[in-house]
Amino acid sequence: MPPLLELNQFHHHYGQQEALKGVSLTLRRGEKVALIGPSGAGKTTLLQTLFQRAQSPKAFVPQAQALVSRLSLFHNVYMGGLDHHSFWYNLLNLVWPQEVEKRRMRPILRSLGMEQRLFDPIGTFSGGEQQRAAIARALFRPAELLLADEPVSSLDPQRAEEVVELLFQQKETVILSLHSVELALAKAQRVIALKAGKIFFDRAAGFVSKQVLKELYQR
Amino acid sequence: MIYASFLILFLAFLGWVFADLEVSTLEPWAELWRMLSGAVTPDFVSLADVGQSLFNTLAFALVGTFLGVLAGGALAFFFHWRLVRYACAYSRSIHELFWALLLLPVVGLNPLCGILAIAIPYAGIFAKVYAEILEEADPRPLQAIPSQADPFTRFIYGYLPGLWKELKHYTSYRFECALRSSAILGFIGLPTLGYHLETWFREGHYASAFALLYVYYALIFSLSIWARPKLVVWWVMLALWGISKEVSFSLENTVRFFTVDILPWPLRQGKGLEAFGDWVWDIVKNQAWEGALNTFILTQMALALSAGVALFLFPWASQALAGPRLKYGGRFLLVVMRSTPEYLLAYVAIQLLGPSMLPAILALSIHNGGVLSHLASLNADQVQLDLSAAKKSGNRYLYEILPSIYGQFMAFLLYRWEIIFRESAILGILGVYSLGFFIDSAIAEDHLDVAFFLIGISATLNLLIDQASRKIRRGLKGSTVFKARA
Amino acid sequence: MKRLLFCCAVLFFLVPPSFALELRFSAIPDQDMDRLEQRFNQVASYLSKALRMKVAYIPVKSYAASVSAFKNNQIQLAWFGGLSGVQARLAVQGSQAIAQGAEDQKFITYFIAHHSTGLRATKNFPTAIAGKTFTFGSKGSTSGRLMPEFYIRKYFHQTPRKVFQRVGFSGDHSKTIALVQAGVYQVGAVNYQVYEKERREGRLDSKKLILLWKTPFYPDYNWTIRGDVEQVYGPGFIQRVQKALIEMKDPKLLQSFPRSAFIQADNSLYAPILETGKAIGILR
Repeated sequence: MPPLLELNQFHHHYGQQEALKGVSLTLRRGEKVALIGPSGAGKTTLLQTLFQRAQSPKAFVPQAQALVSRLSLFHNVYMGGLDHHSFWYNLLNLVWPQEVEKRRMRPILRSLGMEQRLFDPIGTFSGGEQQRAAIARALFRPAELLLADEPVSSLDPQRAEEVVELLFQQKETVILSLHSVELALAKAQRVIALKAGKIFFDRAAGFVSKQVLKELYQR
Repeated sequence: MIYASFLILFLAFLGWVFADLEVSTLEPWAELWRMLSGAVTPDFVSLADVGQSLFNTLAFALVGTFLGVLAGGALAFFFHWRLVRYACAYSRSIHELFWALLLLPVVGLNPLCGILAIAIPYAGIFAKVYAEILEEADPRPLQAIPSQADPFTRFIYGYLPGLWKELKHYTSYRFECALRSSAILGFIGLPTLGYHLETWFREGHYASAFALLYVYYALIFSLSIWARPKLVVWWVMLALWGISKEVSFSLENTVRFFTVDILPWPLRQGKGLEAFGDWVWDIVKNQAWEGALNTFILTQMALALSAGVALFLFPWASQALAGPRLKYGGRFLLVVMRSTPEYLLAYVAIQLLGPSMLPAILALSIHNGGVLSHLASLNADQVQLDLSAAKKSGNRYLYEILPSIYGQFMAFLLYRWEIIFRESAILGILGVYSLGFFIDSAIAEDHLDVAFFLIGISATLNLLIDQASRKIRRGLKGSTVFKARA
Repeated sequence: MKRLLFCCAVLFFLVPPSFALELRFSAIPDQDMDRLEQRFNQVASYLSKALRMKVAYIPVKSYAASVSAFKNNQIQLAWFGGLSGVQARLAVQGSQAIAQGAEDQKFITYFIAHHSTGLRATKNFPTAIAGKTFTFGSKGSTSGRLMPEFYIRKYFHQTPRKVFQRVGFSGDHSKTIALVQAGVYQVGAVNYQVYEKERREGRLDSKKLILLWKTPFYPDYNWTIRGDVEQVYGPGFIQRVQKALIEMKDPKLLQSFPRSAFIQADNSLYAPILETGKAIGILR
C-alpha cells in the first residue's frame, strides 16, 4: 500500500526565517500520530504543509479556530460539510436549518458533550466550548484524514483525554499536535517530535524514553 | 440587526408601492446606444475650451477644502459648546448644491460662491470629525508637556504628532469628495466641469461629454500622485492666485440678502404673526409635506437597493472571494462607481429613462452601492477563514464572510442613510418631486424666503435621520465600536 | 505657518475691484448652449462697437441665475423673457425695459403633442390633454411656463399637477421640443419662435410632432437695463444703449434671435405679465 503522505527534505521559509529545515516523513493510512515539541518548533507549519499536500478527503482543526462568531453552533459545525452540497442547499440551510443535518450532527455533538444551545451564536460560548465546536466541525466533515493543531489546549485534562481519544477513533488517519506529552504517549501509536524546524525523533509511542524527552525540551 | 435589516426592506417595499417608477422614454435603448458609442469614441478635441473650467474645478475644491480645514480645525476645539455643535450639524446637513443655490443670490456667479458652498458644509464636517479624533487621542504624550505651556503649543506637541496620520488621511478623503462636489456645482451654473457636462449630456454631445468625464476620472485616480501634502500647499496658493482676480464681494448684496431676501414675505410686508403663520402653513401643506415624503420614499428605496448592490458586488473586489486577479477588475469597477457623482448619474439616467423616481434610485444605488462595496470588501479581507471546508466562494460568502461582516456592514449602511437622504433631496433639482424640486422652484420664482425655509426643513429632517441612524447603530447587538467615517 | 499666513495675504491683496469700465450683459438660457453663445458673442461685439466700450457676455445656466446676476449688479443689461424681466425689474428699483423684438408684443406659446396621443389641432383650448404627461420649459419661462400654466388653470380650474398625469420642466425650449418629439412627454408648451426656427432648419419631424393649439398674444422678451447705470457710465447711457439695440440691423444677428427688428419698449407694456404672474402665484 502506497504511503498516504510523504515529505522529503522539506524546507519552508517565512521571509528570512526558516521554519522547517529539511523534514522527511512518511504517513500511512490508519496511523494515529501525535506531534510534539517546544513552542516555535514548526508544528503548525508542518501540519499546514501536510494538509495542503494531502490528496484524500481531509479535515483540519486550526489553532485559531476560525469560527464565525455571529453564526450558531449548528451553522458553524455545518460549515464542515459545505462543499458537499450545492450553493442553493447551503443558502436554504442558512435561512432554514434542515432537520436531516441536525440529525447527522447530533451524535458528534453528544460525544463532545454539547448537545445544548444548538442555535446560540458561537460568540456567546466559552473558550473550551468554542474549541470543541471547531472539533465538531472537523468531525462533521466527511474525511479520511484529520489534522488538528493543538485541539485540546483550552480543555480540562479529563475532557482533553476524552476528546483526543475521540479524534483518534473517529477518522481513519489522524495527526494531532499536542501540548501535553503524557497525552501524546498515552493515546497515540506514533509520536513525532519537532525541534527547531527539524525532526528530533519519530518512533512508536512505547519507545519514547524520559531521557530523549528531556533533551527535546532543553534549550 | 436582523430587525434593522427587515425594517429597511419593509420601508423600501412601502416606498415601492407608492413610488413613481415609470420608464417614460420610448426609445431608451437607442439613446443608450448613442451614449455608449460616445463613451468608446471620446472626442478630446472638443476639450480645448474647458481648460478654465478644469482649473476652476480644482481651485474651488482646493480652496474650499483649505478654508474648511481652517475653520473646522478651529471649531473642533470648541466642539463641546452646544452652539458650535448645532451650527456645525446644520451646516453639514445642507448639501453643497443647496449652499450654492443659497449663495448664488448673495455673492453671485463668481468663484467665491463655489468656494463657500464647499467650505461651509466641510467646516462643519471637519469640526465634528477632528473633534472626534481629538477625543480618541492618546492623552499620554500631553502629560510630558509642562502644563503652563499655552494650549496651542500643547496641542502641536502633545496631540498633533500622534494624530497627524489620521487627520491627513481623513482630510485627503474629504478632498476627493470636494472634487466631486466642485464638479457638480457646474450643473447649476458655476464655471466648473459640470457646466460643460450638463450642456453636453443635455444636448446629446456624448463624445465630448465622455472625454471630459475621462479627464475627471484621471484627476481622481491620480490624486495620490499630485495631492501629496507638500505639493498641495503650492496648489492652494496657485489656486488662490488664479481665482483671486475674479472674486468679488458686495456688502450691499449680502446685507440685502439677510435683511430682505430671506425675510418671510408677510414680515417683509409688515404684516403680523398671523400672516406669518399662514405663510408657514401654506408652504408646509403645499410643498414641504410632499417634498419630504417623496424625499423619504426615494431615500428608503435607494438605501435598500444600495445594500443589495453592495452585497452583490463586494465579493468581486475581495481577495478572499474573487481571488487575486479578478479582484482588480472588481475594484476598478467600484472606484468608477463611487467616483462618479450621483447627481451626474441621475442626470444621465433621467436622459435615458425619463423623469420618474427610477433614475434617481438607480443613480443613488450605483454611487452608494459602490462606496458600501468598497468598505465591505476591505472588511471581508480581514475575516479569518477556515482552512479546510468552504473552499468555494459562494459557500465562503454565505457562511463565513457575510455573517462576520454583516454587523459592520449594517453600521456603514445606516451611516449612509443620512447621506442618501441629503442626496435624495438635491435630486429634486432634476425634476423628481423631492425637497430639491420645491427649493429649485422657489429660487426660480425668486422667492428666496421660501427657498431658505425649505432648506431649513430639509436640514432639520436630515438631522433627525442622523439621530435615528445613530440610535440604531448604537443598538446593533454585538457590535463593537464602529468607525464608519467614510 | 508662514506659508499659511502668506496664503491669506495673497487672498486679500490679490483681490482687485474691477476698475475697467465694462458693460456686462447676460440672457436667459432658453435654447441650446452653443447657439446662445454664438448669438450673444456676436451681440457683444456689436454693442462694443456701437457703444465704443468693452462689452462682455456672461453665460448663465438658469433663468434664476440671470435674474440674480442682474439683482447683484454683476450684469447691467439682460435679454430677459417677459416673466424674468418683471422679476428683475421688481427686484431692482428704477430698472427699465428699453427694447423688445418687433414680434415680442404679440408673442405666442404653442402647445405641441406626440403623434401617439392621437390629438389633433384645435381652434379652442385643447381640453383633451387632461390626464396626459406634460412638460413645461424652464420654471422661470414666460412662454414655456407662465402663459401655458395660466391657460391650463383657466380652462381646468386646477393646478397643472392635478390636471396631468405627470408634469415636468424640461429646462429650455429646444429640450421641450426634443422631449415631446421623442415621446418622453406626450404634450408640451413651447416658445413659438424657437419652434418655428427649428422647423425652418428642418430639425422637426412633422410625423411625430403635432401642433395642437396657439395661445392668444401676450408680451414677452425684452432688453432690460439697471436704473443706476448712468451713475457709473455717465448720463444718457440708457438712451445710448437703447439706440444701439434698436439700430441693430444686421440680418444675420437679428436672425439668430430670431427677430425682424428691435423696437422701443417700456415697463408698462409688461403689465399683463405682472398680473398673470400674480394670478398663478409666481409673482407676489
